[in-house]
Amino acid sequence: MADRPPIIYLNNAATTWPKPPEVLEAVRQSLALPVFGSGRTTGSQGEDYITLAREALASLLAADPPEHVVFTPNATDSLNILIQGFLAGSEADCRVLTTELDHNSVLRPLHELARQGRIRLTVLPFEDGTVHPDTVKAAVTPDTRLMVTAHGSNVLGSVQDVTRIGEVLHDHGIYFIVDGAQTAGHIPVDLRALPVDAYVFTGHKGLFGIPGTGGFYVRDPEAVLPVRYGGTGTESSSLFHPREMPERFESGTHNYPGLAALAAGANYIASVGVEKISEKAERQAALLIEELKNEPNITVYNEHPALPIVSFNIRGMENDDVGFILARAYGIVARTGLHCAPLVHRAIDDGIGSVRLSLSWFTTDEECRVAARAVREIAHHADSSVCSS
Amino acid sequence: MKEYLLDAPVTAEFFAYLGNFGKVEALQNIGEGFYKFEKADWFSIKGLSGDTTVEVRFKKEVMDLTADFLYLLFSAYREGAVDLTLSKQREQAVGRRVRERLYGP
Repeated sequence: MADRPPIIYLNNAATTWPKPPEVLEAVRQSLALPVFGSGRTTGSQGEDYITLAREALASLLAADPPEHVVFTPNATDSLNILIQGFLAGSEADCRVLTTELDHNSVLRPLHELARQGRIRLTVLPFEDGTVHPDTVKAAVTPDTRLMVTAHGSNVLGSVQDVTRIGEVLHDHGIYFIVDGAQTAGHIPVDLRALPVDAYVFTGHKGLFGIPGTGGFYVRDPEAVLPVRYGGTGTESSSLFHPREMPERFESGTHNYPGLAALAAGANYIASVGVEKISEKAERQAALLIEELKNEPNITVYNEHPALPIVSFNIRGMENDDVGFILARAYGIVARTGLHCAPLVHRAIDDGIGSVRLSLSWFTTDEECRVAARAVREIAHHADSSVCSS
Repeated sequence: MKEYLLDAPVTAEFFAYLGNFGKVEALQNIGEGFYKFEKADWFSIKGLSGDTTVEVRFKKEVMDLTADFLYLLFSAYREGAVDLTLSKQREQAVGRRVRERLYGP
């Protein structure tokens, strides 16, 4: 592990920190060696980090074949490519389903398309942190062509039953894009078994990569038209973009250090075991919630998360003030506000936002206890506010 | 939002002084005291007593006016100005420009 300043970092649902030493070393090495890209470089002094990362991700997510794993700068870019690319091949004015649980990376592209009159959008409500497959079934109309939704909620830490939802959708021939930004690396994901058409990941969260990497797995590339064109290092005599995978969706120079980090992160997770990571996360989130939920001034919004995310507010205090005090008085890094998921917050806290503590494999039980003690201490004093003007 | 690094730790007295210009809320039992100053529809300052950093939030459209006014507020306090008349006049003048810029004349 890199040297750690004296902070307790509980903002891992945004970006994980610290990174495994293997990740730091991979980035260092990738920058120390000359860049090597098949078709773009002669000689072989460098590592082919693109292929290494593709194979590592394919292995971790059981994504077959590896060439159907596509790299992009982040999950948002992946979602835009998939949404726009799928709709480019669909009839205009079709219906698209999403949910209140979703992040703006899903909501904004879809709302923008709805505003342009290119789609009709239905946003499904959730109950107990998840959207029930029956709710999806009831929302399906003859013109529904696509559903895009988060696998895991970045506010509630709940995991959607994408197996049953996918079955409902596929019964009606509806394309299913799943945003796995909060689940890749956190829970076992078997894309051979899951009935999803495309699964999006980001590098810098649970996969322990660095910011600037993400991507997606697409089962049938023909279902999504490419919306970016450019240099690929292949078929360069043609003035048209190749349709083969993965070049179909990848153009321009790759983020070599980022992909080196992503490969190392995915391999690190595989060496620990994603089941073990998932079990620890669930146990620690429960530990944290147990320490907070009985405090009268604290409202915990998710008592049984599957992901290591705990969202709460302290009565009488703005969540932003709680975050400020945690950071400045206790050295605890949290995230406050709407977490780019405004519709979840409208449903759980009238849209005021919350304080979110999110853990990683490297979070210790003691850090959870210290954080819980700090939150309880703040909550104890929340009633003693003195006002003057 | 901007963080201001000050040349001395903030104190309860500093926030009491800010109370002349807006609302101050305090949680005195948290650390050495958590304070929040709010000037409705313009800007807010929060900080912990004993800390040399305060956090200032404002609408970015009025960043320049806010920075000027903050400089005046902070320097008047540092110089121990007991007469608030000048600062209050400046507050009214800058406040008017802020409102005009945010909401129109």
